Amino acid sequence: MSAHDHGHGDDHGHGGAHDGPAAGPVVLSVSDRHPRVRTIQVVRPGFQDTTFLAATAKGLGITLKHFARNLFLPMRKADARSKAGAPTDVSFRNEIETVQYPEEKVTYPERFRGLHRLMLRDDGNVRCVACMCCPTVCPAHCITIIPEESDNPGVEKRPAVFEIDELRCVVCGLCVEACPCDAIRMDTGDHAKPVEDRANAIETKESMMGRGIRSIAKQGGEGPNWRAHGHESSKNDVNR
Amino acid sequence: MSILYAILDFPAVKWLFLVLVLVMPLASLLTWAERRQSAMMQDRLGPNRANIGPIKLKGILHFVADALKMIFKEDFIPANVHKGLFALAPVLALAPVLIAFAVIPFGPTIYPHALTQSLDPTLLVTDPGYVDPSTGVALFGDAIRMQIFSSDFGLIFYFAVLTLANYGGTIAGWASYNKWALLGGLRSSSQMMSYEVAMGLALMGAFLVTGTLEPGAIVTGGAMSTMSAAHPLNWLWLWQPVGFVLFLTASIAETKRAPFDIPEGEPEIIGYFVEYSGIRWGMFFLAEFIEIVFVSAVMVTVFFGGWQVPFLDADGFRIGGIVDPITHVSTAGWFHEMDHWFVALLQFSAFVVKTVLLCMFQLLIRWTLPRFRGDQLMNLGWKLLLPLALANIMVTALVKLIYFMVTRS
Repeated sequence: MSAHDHGHGDDHGHGGAHDGPAAGPVVLSVSDRHPRVRTIQVVRPGFQDTTFLAATAKGLGITLKHFARNLFLPMRKADARSKAGAPTDVSFRNEIETVQYPEEKVTYPERFRGLHRLMLRDDGNVRCVACMCCPTVCPAHCITIIPEESDNPGVEKRPAVFEIDELRCVVCGLCVEACPCDAIRMDTGDHAKPVEDRANAIETKESMMGRGIRSIAKQGGEGPNWRAHGHESSKNDVNR
Repeated sequence: MSILYAILDFPAVKWLFLVLVLVMPLASLLTWAERRQSAMMQDRLGPNRANIGPIKLKGILHFVADALKMIFKEDFIPANVHKGLFALAPVLALAPVLIAFAVIPFGPTIYPHALTQSLDPTLLVTDPGYVDPSTGVALFGDAIRMQIFSSDFGLIFYFAVLTLANYGGTIAGWASYNKWALLGGLRSSSQMMSYEVAMGLALMGAFLVTGTLEPGAIVTGGAMSTMSAAHPLNWLWLWQPVGFVLFLTASIAETKRAPFDIPEGEPEIIGYFVEYSGIRWGMFFLAEFIEIVFVSAVMVTVFFGGWQVPFLDADGFRIGGIVDPITHVSTAGWFHEMDHWFVALLQFSAFVVKTVLLCMFQLLIRWTLPRFRGDQLMNLGWKLLLPLALANIMVTALVKLIYFMVTRS
């Protein structure tokens, strides 16, 4: 086993040596009895490297260039700063990447899963029928629903309490997937705000309905399928 | 009035002025400037948000917030530390640096009775006790010297005192009862041995050129007696370039900052102050930044003409003047007369500006170069800096000897 390993290593080493000078040290001679014992050419650092002066001056030049450029030139627009791979050689702009968060905000991608919202019916009532699918599927157990009987004769139940603890939420989006009647969505393009008290991180039915808008989907599968042109409508919703 | 001038000339008052007005604010601002400048060098913005209400000042107030935080943090003393030495170490690190500032001349000598007129340098040299016949006061009396401690062994005093600062780090490492801290303290000692010899010898060249170790005399004298001390070409950077580079290298090692931050070495051992918290740690931190200011001030004093403004003599701007070889007073040339108070103000500001620029240069170096290994620093100190410093002294002495032989024959 051990011999086999050695042989393999030898082959590999020779192959690397013959590939080109960049593959490893230059081998001057190889021992006959122990092929892994080799004499290699040692590359000593030259005068410039041992005095460090040239390299130091070069490095100082690079950092000074960045410093001067970032100090004197105006910043790029926030959108250009936020995107990775954005061109940095914009003339008369510096290279600072920092996005000043509360004042400047990055536009999130369209499929960004953000803060929850509860959708509304045509009459302004909550669309949720308290089927308990979302608290069942929720891996973080952050959804609390207490159902009650609905006034509407066509609807069996509605949530008396619908609370989501945004501190426990892992933003997986399974509740949106599980919802049979498009009552809960995460397409607000916003994220949970920082809070000073844990109780303030709990989203109530009212706060989530405040972010909701009327869904164009009909319950029971009738009417146009919102998923068919969901892209367009979801975009409009965010802007609203 | 002369009592007031005597109080102003009292060393403790001058020391308080220097430390409270110049050094402490500058060192505190450096803590902000370092974070801000390093961020700018790395395409970031750095701390810019600390504010009092709407006053933001680009985040300068961060140093106030830092100081408040450190003062009000818990002063934690771990079990098993040597309590006395643990408490003593930060003081040992901070105090020598503040003491060493005594030898730095931070401005010209001020003659209070001549403030509102142009100083006559010839009269000052030939008749220092001159009494103004119209007012009856000694014109050059009650002089306020902007240097706390002026002595012929000035630079040696600085070496002696600043070396004591190293005990702070070493004792902190030993007293902390922590292996990492001990390693940091030992590294601090070994580093000191690597650079201290070369550092002292680097300044010996300057001593040979100017013939004095008194920083004030180096500033007022310059390298050549045939040139005005305010002429930038008369400053020692031109006459001791090798000495300057050597001293700069050694002084960065003195401040224990990258590329010579071996005693701290954040990714490996954190350093001798690993067990310190709160304002005790803040004292180490402040000592480091005051050391930056101090070595900058020394470099400015020795190599960049101290408080001299280019082409500004004691009585005003003069370009192309002729220097009297005996009184060292320049005359003739293009001349623009200025009042004494304005000249003194300009010269004090020049000292501050030069010091700040050199501090910023040290920050630039610190954020550009990677850390040396311990053995690399030893190699650099003993095998490169020391021989170079010795060669510098030999060449300087030889040139000086040849110069003497030529001028005397």
